[in-house]
Amino acid sequence: MDQAVVMDSAAGLAKRLQVFTRVVTTKAAIAQTPKELVWALNKAKLYRYTPVLPTEKRYRIPLLLIFAIMNRPSILDLRPGHSFVEFMVGQGYDVYLLDWGVPGLEDKNLKLDDYAIEYLPRAIRKMKAIAGVEEFSMLGWCIGAILTTIYAALRSEEGLRNLLLLTAPLDFSNRAGLTFARWTDEKYFDVDKVIEAFGNMPGEMIDYGAKALKPVENYIGNYCKLWDNLDDPRVVESWHAMNTWVTDNVPMAGGAYRQLIVELYRKNRLMKNELMVRGERVDLGKIRANLLTVIAEGDHITPPCQSESIMAKVGSEDKELYRIPGGHIGIMAGSAAPRTTWPHIEGWLSARSR
Amino acid sequence: MSETRNNHTETSDPFEPFRAIRDKYLDAMAKSMVETVNSESYAQASGAMLEGYLTATAPLREAMDKSMAQALVQLSLPSRQEVAALAERFTHVEMRLDDMDAKLDRIEKLLGRDPPAPLPKAGKVREGSAVEKGVNPRSEPAGEGSRLGARGRFVRKRGGAKERS
Repeated sequence: MDQAVVMDSAAGLAKRLQVFTRVVTTKAAIAQTPKELVWALNKAKLYRYTPVLPTEKRYRIPLLLIFAIMNRPSILDLRPGHSFVEFMVGQGYDVYLLDWGVPGLEDKNLKLDDYAIEYLPRAIRKMKAIAGVEEFSMLGWCIGAILTTIYAALRSEEGLRNLLLLTAPLDFSNRAGLTFARWTDEKYFDVDKVIEAFGNMPGEMIDYGAKALKPVENYIGNYCKLWDNLDDPRVVESWHAMNTWVTDNVPMAGGAYRQLIVELYRKNRLMKNELMVRGERVDLGKIRANLLTVIAEGDHITPPCQSESIMAKVGSEDKELYRIPGGHIGIMAGSAAPRTTWPHIEGWLSARSR
Repeated sequence: MSETRNNHTETSDPFEPFRAIRDKYLDAMAKSMVETVNSESYAQASGAMLEGYLTATAPLREAMDKSMAQALVQLSLPSRQEVAALAERFTHVEMRLDDMDAKLDRIEKLLGRDPPAPLPKAGKVREGSAVEKGVNPRSEPAGEGSRLGARGRFVRKRGGAKERS
């Protein structure tokens, strides 16, 4: 082989390895949309994103974003030019984000109850005081959708006008279709022993659980995709931002994790209207807010069967089920999201936010 | 553009010729692994591994906790549990403050104060900035309603434009 070709190949390989190592081992700048901290309680923080449109061009009804308690909410504001938050602020919404923070040992007894009807109503009260309105919209994604659903059922008279549920794991009746349900079955998984040992459910274990659903794609294919696209800065930048988010694991409060496994995964109490939250029964029929449920058709973490059945249970008159191709995170953070999911959400909300 | 990129990739990636074989292998492996992790036996095996780990490390954890507790007592230092209990109490105090904040909001509303003024436009407040950290919040553009004090907690805005005049 020609020596020049060999040298060229070696130089190319060295350059690729350099870029690959940098992207895999460093953190990208994510969550860059300007915001202000307006309320805090324990680890929870409520942010208000700085509006970019004048008051008269903005929607009156503020939008509150609630993400899962075991991941960073920065996925909603991934990177400039590719951020749901930035998009909604640009459309004239008054956007708030509730960041649950990272639970410490002192938070190991926090339950879904605490998040849904202790922290959330307090943050909402503050948001309403700041916005100067009594009504608001709320978007819950993943476990955040469980919390917003509980809130919407128990506090239906507190001004919630629009409820948006994204890839919401609410119905656990189809156990055969849920890999998580199989793994956490009481025959094999002693949740009390795990919580006793760790206090909170370690973020690494939750991350492993999510990745092990598709191990080859997550542990090998993902890196192959980066390697194959090292020449494309757009793909590299996107991969870097997503990897930064994915590898930033957050533990889940022990009490909430136990409740998720026992009361939801094993007993499906929420969908049966049997879930008790601080002595109150969560009756989904009491949800009156306008409802948009977004389902990711290729979601292996929250399969569509977990989100469909709520439509028949709620008391809302105005409700829509929106299906979209994509995965659990991809529908909001993937490259197609700005052309598909975001405009649909914005269009639905727009008609209901004046 | 894609052609250029492909050409470039061909010259710089020595593994390019093996990509098709690799992808075929990974596809087959992915299907097989998904079947495996969805099986009852995988659930049983992973449960047994976790159980084994927890059982094996329990005596070690217990011994460490005991010796650490003794050492901390000797050094007159609080234990992790004591610090956690203190943090819980702080949270309760925060909740009481939040309750008071809510009451003040209601009182202000009953007194018929003007609604909050609109936000100043496009303040470049980012995570980690002075306002985010609650450092000297008055020097930065900020929203209406409550303001953050030095500890980033419920310091209410007093004396809006109308009150000052």
